[in-house]
Amino acid sequence: MLPLLRSLLRAHGGRVLYSAARHSSATYLQSFILHNTEVVTDHLTPEIRLLLLTPRCKYWHLRPEHWPYGDPYWAIYWPGGQALGRYFLDNPDVVRCRRIMDLGSGCGAVSIAAKMGGASYVVANDIDPVAAAAFALNCQLNGMDDLPFDPENIIGDDAGLWDVIALGDMFYDEQLADSLHRWLRRCMEQHGTTVLIGDPGRGHFLGHPIQKQLQKVAEYSLPESTKQENYGLTTSAVWRYQPGCS
Amino acid sequence: MNPFCEIAVEEAVRLKEKKIVSEIIAVSCGPQQCQETIRTALAMGADRGIHVDVSAKDAETLGPFQVSKVLAALAKKENVNLVLLGKQAIDDDCNQTGQMTAALLDWPQATFASEVKVEGEKLIVIREVDGGLETISVKLPAVVTADLRLNEPRYATLPNIMKAKKKKVDQVKPSDLGVDITSRVHILSVEDPPQRQAGVKVETVEDLVSKLKESGRI
Repeated sequence: MLPLLRSLLRAHGGRVLYSAARHSSATYLQSFILHNTEVVTDHLTPEIRLLLLTPRCKYWHLRPEHWPYGDPYWAIYWPGGQALGRYFLDNPDVVRCRRIMDLGSGCGAVSIAAKMGGASYVVANDIDPVAAAAFALNCQLNGMDDLPFDPENIIGDDAGLWDVIALGDMFYDEQLADSLHRWLRRCMEQHGTTVLIGDPGRGHFLGHPIQKQLQKVAEYSLPESTKQENYGLTTSAVWRYQPGCS
Repeated sequence: MNPFCEIAVEEAVRLKEKKIVSEIIAVSCGPQQCQETIRTALAMGADRGIHVDVSAKDAETLGPFQVSKVLAALAKKENVNLVLLGKQAIDDDCNQTGQMTAALLDWPQATFASEVKVEGEKLIVIREVDGGLETISVKLPAVVTADLRLNEPRYATLPNIMKAKKKKVDQVKPSDLGVDITSRVHILSVEDPPQRQAGVKVETVEDLVSKLKESGRI
């Protein structure tokens, strides 16, 4: 029924109008993810196994409009997230016995790395419901009980609960970057939260006013497969946000 | 995207991957559809785009001179060191935009490039010329136009297309750049290639022979 329905709908104007809403139950999403991704360790944190979209998956080669859900940002291990994940695994002191918020968690690798590094409490936050299903699967794949997941947009909320906020690749959407910047400054001022940003040095991030208050704490060369997913980028770094310094 | 422009974008991305270039700005002049072309360049690895908005009507008379004025103005405004273009568009075959842009900027030009190397403040460019290959050295800033054999452009894949959606595309009008896009070329006539007449179907060899006789061909 499903392929038929899809092909019928595609016939109208060539666009896939098929609504994913009907098939958004956690079980259905998990089975969809298992069928359309594969386990990947070819990244900066090979100790973490992740279900991701690769050139061997059919959707890799199809036009993006055929993907039945919102853009699968969770199906790619972003370079900024990879740098944060590596940083947490190599520097467990940063996360040990601390409470971590992984903002825009996507596949959840940064949360998993924080937990592996000894964090006392980790919450993955992503507004994409499919990311929640992918995160649960990735936790299981790494022998972890499901870590808490928060699907609400928390930017602007009181962040008193967190010792560390980790953000991978969140600074390349201009509007989001500005509101994030204001909120992160408030988190630091009110609660002394540690803010760590993973970014491969995209033009927009490097040109953003926040750059003056960042200190680069680690930089990594990207593996070949990650370069192929990020044309033009070759390295990724972790930055610590320190308002007041310049 | 015009194939030579695709080669130019690819070369820019390769220079960025070698960390020689820090930022790639993809520029296209024309109506709204240009944004798709810019998105393709962003999916290939350009960092941001500038769409120079020209109405569909004005775009019909937009020639190399107008485009080069726009590009020269943007090159100054954005303070770029290198302008990379395709050697020519495959619709009008003009092959003038790169040369005119270099002239307007008073920058050196390296056209029909089949290899580009950066050595400090200089570019070493191999050019495809009639007698073979010519190697020249030009000082930066410079204008380079891409020939067919410069490289083989990469395909935009899903992860790159997805990421390109979030990259910034600014929109400007030629007038914002102080550029007048009035055309100075008067086209006297444009003629379509002759229309091919529909043929007839014949069932047998005999039919074919009689048809050919009828039409006086045999």
